[in-house]
Amino acid sequence: MPGSHGRRRWGAIAVVAVAAVLLSACGAGSRTPAATAAQVPCEFPAPPSEVNVNVLAYNSSAVDPFTNTMVKSCSRNGVTLNHEPIDYAGQQQKTIATLAGKYGTYDIVETYGFGIPQNAAVGKLVPLDDMLARYGQQFRLDELNPDMRRAMSYDGKLYGLPMQAQMYVMAYRKDVFDRLGLRPPRTFAELRSAAETIRRDGGIQYPLALPLLASSDIATAYDAALGSLGTDYVDRDTMRANFDTPAAAQAFEQLRSLMPVMDPQVTTFAQPAVQQQMYNGSAAIAIMFSGRMNDLTKPANSRFAGQFAFAPPPSVAGGPTLYNTLSVDGWSIPANTEVDPDLLFQMISASVGPEASKASVPGAFPARAGMVTPRSSPFAAAQLESIGKAPPAEPYPWSSRISTATTSVVADVVSGRTPIPEGTRKMQEIATEILAEYR
Amino acid sequence: MRRREYLGLVSPSLVVMLGLLVFPLYKTVEWSLQRVNYGEPGTFLGLGNYAEALSDPRLGAAVLFTVGLTAAVVAVLLVGGYVLAVLVDSLGRAKPWVLGILLVSYVIPNVVGATMFSWMFDSNFGGIVNHIVSLFTGTEVLWFTDPWPNRLMVALDTVWFMLPFAMLVILAGLQGVPSEIVEAARIDGATGWRVHWHVIVPSIRGVLGFVAIISIMDVLRTYDQLVALSPQAPQIGNESIMLYIFNVAFQDGGQQLGLGSAVNVLLILLIVVLLSPFIRGIAKEARQS
Repeated sequence: MPGSHGRRRWGAIAVVAVAAVLLSACGAGSRTPAATAAQVPCEFPAPPSEVNVNVLAYNSSAVDPFTNTMVKSCSRNGVTLNHEPIDYAGQQQKTIATLAGKYGTYDIVETYGFGIPQNAAVGKLVPLDDMLARYGQQFRLDELNPDMRRAMSYDGKLYGLPMQAQMYVMAYRKDVFDRLGLRPPRTFAELRSAAETIRRDGGIQYPLALPLLASSDIATAYDAALGSLGTDYVDRDTMRANFDTPAAAQAFEQLRSLMPVMDPQVTTFAQPAVQQQMYNGSAAIAIMFSGRMNDLTKPANSRFAGQFAFAPPPSVAGGPTLYNTLSVDGWSIPANTEVDPDLLFQMISASVGPEASKASVPGAFPARAGMVTPRSSPFAAAQLESIGKAPPAEPYPWSSRISTATTSVVADVVSGRTPIPEGTRKMQEIATEILAEYR
Repeated sequence: MRRREYLGLVSPSLVVMLGLLVFPLYKTVEWSLQRVNYGEPGTFLGLGNYAEALSDPRLGAAVLFTVGLTAAVVAVLLVGGYVLAVLVDSLGRAKPWVLGILLVSYVIPNVVGATMFSWMFDSNFGGIVNHIVSLFTGTEVLWFTDPWPNRLMVALDTVWFMLPFAMLVILAGLQGVPSEIVEAARIDGATGWRVHWHVIVPSIRGVLGFVAIISIMDVLRTYDQLVALSPQAPQIGNESIMLYIFNVAFQDGGQQLGLGSAVNVLLILLIVVLLSPFIRGIAKEARQS
């Protein structure tokens, strides 16, 4: 029956072809799940020819809503937005590479306050002030938090449109705390004491979980501890590194004092590993960025989801500033993009609009005022208190360089391989060398 | 073959080799003598990058770790690959199925395989190996922060994904061993391991040399698996040379492409030194044949 065989063959080819077309259509735009994407107005005049816009943004439950909303809503009028999944470390490296040359790969990059000055100081980002004035009313950009706008500015100019902020929040097992009569710790001493009480109770051997990955998170943790003690990496007035001050050593002592109540391999844990400890029930207290908290509340992730409660992080030594880091994320436009910056600005404005910001809660803490209220999520109250008591930002081009260059020393000191005086001396030398380039 | 035909056939390969091998090699050597940032022309430093690299104790530790890992893994690959190839060769109709299953670890991307491998040792993710070791020894092994357990884990993972390659090549080599030689050895009274050691192994010396060369080159360039298996590699002395290059060139402080290139040149020299005995052996064999 050659006829029937041939028909079957053509039928199979047709099915494969349709499946291929459907699959390729699924692959267009963002390749991350678009469940968090809101459809928002993204109005712009059609460009004279087709335009491809490449977006660089790492994937997390806090950033995805903004990225996915932009890709979904602004891929129209002859414009296609492309976004490939990537992790935070990958984004960091690609940002350096794309901003370096005359031509870059990306047209919109996700940036954060700590990194803005280094790139803005050398003209690698487009200043947004003129466009902000032009489109501010259309996209209600005046409602963006002024502090967050400042965090994305350098030398008085805006280089990133803030989308959301992350601050440290403490998650704890309310059932365990209630059973042992514990209250959320407000200082590191109380934190140690609570963790030791939980351990003595049995069942949880390492009650405290912090992201202290030796290649990255540990530097943020040290900065948070130092900030809680009221000290910056670099003195703002004298431009001198502060690693030879008593606070620098005290920050190390305090972090090291927590090691006995944490997993011995804690210096290999990034935030997902800390989440995993909480999911498993192998830890009862965790301090990490607020963007990670929503995952804890999902029953699909953990049988303890209903038992997690949230509080602001403690302060290191009882002072008013908490063990905390305020990180503001936003969108920047590379100076080397070949796409019209005006068009790109309208897209990033749409992605931080009221609808998208509202849809991002509780995964994110949007930059728009009034979006997060104690009723909007179980950890909103903790976020609001935490953001108000965070150490001040250090918006200087040398800040992120010093942080990166001293990370391995911080890891050596916290893990006990290098004595504190030797570590702080090395850090002072590294920072002094970097600062000399800016004098 | 006419000269024009010869040139027509060879030139595409030459263009590809010049573009993908010679030009990057030239740039690496050039950058190794310069201070280079992304997107900026380099400034000549002379041998400054080499002096900096050679005076860094971290590079010494990375070389020691990488060479040690290479020696241990290549030895296991040659012995394990041979044993596995002999076992697979003796199979009947099940051979293609067993081969297919054995090749799974080879086709999985390194970083994915290493991540899955790490979960077997990570109590956060079930950690079956951790569990069994604790059950029998009563102690908790710190696979990710103690240097030697971590080295063992990295070596096991490397063997796990490279063994199928070694096995496959040796298996192909075994097909070329004349059955008459083996039979003659058996008639002469050779049995068991003596047949393998005195007859089969010498017959496939060239194949074993090839496996050694490829394996040495691969293990010397160890990088992917350390990302998943050794997050604290620099702190515990388990940083490979490639990871060290990545860390100094892109991560620690940002953009030291010149320094990274200098270490790359040193790595190329190290590979040449380590491979030279094998290359000489293969060349000698080729001349003799």
